[in-house]
Amino acid sequence: MHTLEPELRTLRAAGVIDDVTASRALARDRGDVFSLHQELRATMYAGVLLVMAGVGLVLARNLERIGPVAIVLAVALAAVVCALPAVRARRAGRPLTVAGDYLLFLAVLLASTDLAYAERQFALLGPLWSWHLLLLAAVHAAIAYAFASPLVLAASLTSLAGWFGAGATLGDALHFSYSTPMLGSRALACAAVIAAWRYADRRARPATPFSNVFDHYAANLACWGAIAWCREWPWLVAGLPLLAALAWASVRRGLDTGREAFLVYGIVYAAIGICVAVVPRLHGMTVSLGFVLIVVCAAAATLWQLRRRLREPSP
Amino acid sequence: MSRWRPSPDEERWLEVASELGDAVPRAAMTERAGGWRSTGPLARIALFVLGFIAAVLAGALLFSIAGLDDEATLLVAGLVAVLAAEWLTFTRRLHASGIEEGLCLAGFLLVGLWITTLIAPRAGYAIGSVGTLVLIAAAGAAGLRRLNPLVTTGAVVAFVYWAGSTATARAIDQAIGGGVTALTVGCALAALALALGAREYRRPSHDRMLDWPVATLPIAAYARNAAPDAYEVLRSPGDGTSQLATAVLLCALGAAMLFLGLRRRRHAPLLGFMGCLACLAVELRQVTTLATETWLMLYGFAALVAGVALDRYLRQPRHGLTSAALTRHEGPLDLLQTAGAAALAQRAAPESPRPEPPVTGGGGRFGGGGATGSY
Repeated sequence: MHTLEPELRTLRAAGVIDDVTASRALARDRGDVFSLHQELRATMYAGVLLVMAGVGLVLARNLERIGPVAIVLAVALAAVVCALPAVRARRAGRPLTVAGDYLLFLAVLLASTDLAYAERQFALLGPLWSWHLLLLAAVHAAIAYAFASPLVLAASLTSLAGWFGAGATLGDALHFSYSTPMLGSRALACAAVIAAWRYADRRARPATPFSNVFDHYAANLACWGAIAWCREWPWLVAGLPLLAALAWASVRRGLDTGREAFLVYGIVYAAIGICVAVVPRLHGMTVSLGFVLIVVCAAAATLWQLRRRLREPSP
Repeated sequence: MSRWRPSPDEERWLEVASELGDAVPRAAMTERAGGWRSTGPLARIALFVLGFIAAVLAGALLFSIAGLDDEATLLVAGLVAVLAAEWLTFTRRLHASGIEEGLCLAGFLLVGLWITTLIAPRAGYAIGSVGTLVLIAAAGAAGLRRLNPLVTTGAVVAFVYWAGSTATARAIDQAIGGGVTALTVGCALAALALALGAREYRRPSHDRMLDWPVATLPIAAYARNAAPDAYEVLRSPGDGTSQLATAVLLCALGAAMLFLGLRRRRHAPLLGFMGCLACLAVELRQVTTLATETWLMLYGFAALVAGVALDRYLRQPRHGLTSAALTRHEGPLDLLQTAGAAALAQRAAPESPRPEPPVTGGGGRFGGGGATGSY
């Protein structure tokens, strides 16, 4: 165990920090106040993950025994029950707690699974089945706004990305070898929609809690889409300048808001894009290795320099 | 005052600067921290990866250009990476900034590889071999040099796996049950780190190097049970003994972690306790006949109920404990939460649109030639 109490007292005595900041920091350092917020989030996430895995297996294995209608009704009922704490909190005018937020998220996921299952079984929309994703995105967005839940908004944006045909998880973003210019175009279109949505949300509600979620989705989808363009000629002609512009915008955003994630996005995606565009056109292992090494070193140096200009937001 | 690493006092001031963020003027902290410079968590991760890649690429380039033999390339590339890291530390005064840590780890590993070619040229890196132990020692040394908890913890976990795969451990496992040796070593090391955590350290990094194994070793050591070779041993007659021993170990360690975590107000023991609980849940699953989906949902609901109860109980702080967040700004865990939510949402949603297959013989979308059902 270590304590920073002497240093904090020195700073207060020297007038470097005010009394409020000092007393807060001292309380945290001594353990007078101790938050279990992260442990709680981990527990709730594990619970949601396990329940969803179990529900997936139930849908897969017990179709014959229980029947599709019973399954659909049971899952829908479970979703409603999970949403109850959030509804009660909203009616009482209380903000959503961590547990309530995760239960609402579970309700939304159960509803998604239920709808997907019902569509598979009953072909509700026939050949237009993929529009379920857009429907889900809209419904989730409405729920996210009703309960001010960033988690549910993430589910909505994931459905939207799915409707565009662009995956929204890290695993998808890292599968550059599967990226085609068409997929890149879809990702860019999705990023543009999300950016417009963010702009409208920000204008309508200046204190919105959703901006961070919008920003991360838009940045990742846009950079990923631009990199997909960098892989093939003649898309490369548009892809590289677009990636440069996006990287610059991301870095600018990071510097303006003090969030280093956007510095990392800007630099790392730009480095990947340059390598993706140039390395296949180089001849010889030595030249390729040398080029990638130069890009990696330049990226590291740039990220370090930019990070030094960043100011962390205060706790 | 050393130019090779920050003194304990300087490191403490760096920690204070990191804790207080923008609330304290940068100039005041730079002076107190002796000019040492660090970075934020996300940039540190990115720079660590970039540094590691750069060292490996430099080694490959050296091999390609200089035409040295394999062993000489390993040594030269390793020394170049280590010297580059030291140069950054000495001249730029970088500490815990990622880039010098990635370079140093890669350099130590390359030198470790070179040493293995000298002491056991034909032994390779089989599980339980001396060559593997040398690499683990190299990683551990790099972690200690850089005071990096991720690297030291990785080395400790690798050591537990190595210990569990030696001939002695296999012989013990045959007698008392598969995987128990590795789990015992892991739990013992976690308990040792927990006990050492009671001491007061000047360097915050020493605390973290003890915290990380406490939080991760129970799950990491238990996960070794799931390795294919251990799976076979699990089916041996020693099953009951090994399960009992595993349960007792995890219960004892988990109880100690919960007690000390709450008493010391530290996150690492509480996370370790949660890991022990998860391992016990899996262990309990192996002695029941419940269907997989049933136990998944049961445990899931149990976790949710526990979370809701904890949230309600601590909504108003009790003895200083609270379920509310103490900071409002976005951290790496918030990013992780968004990514995790996206991953779960994608699994729950219908599949992404795909081009229609050219042949749809059978006429149906489910069960016909163009079937799309995936349940």
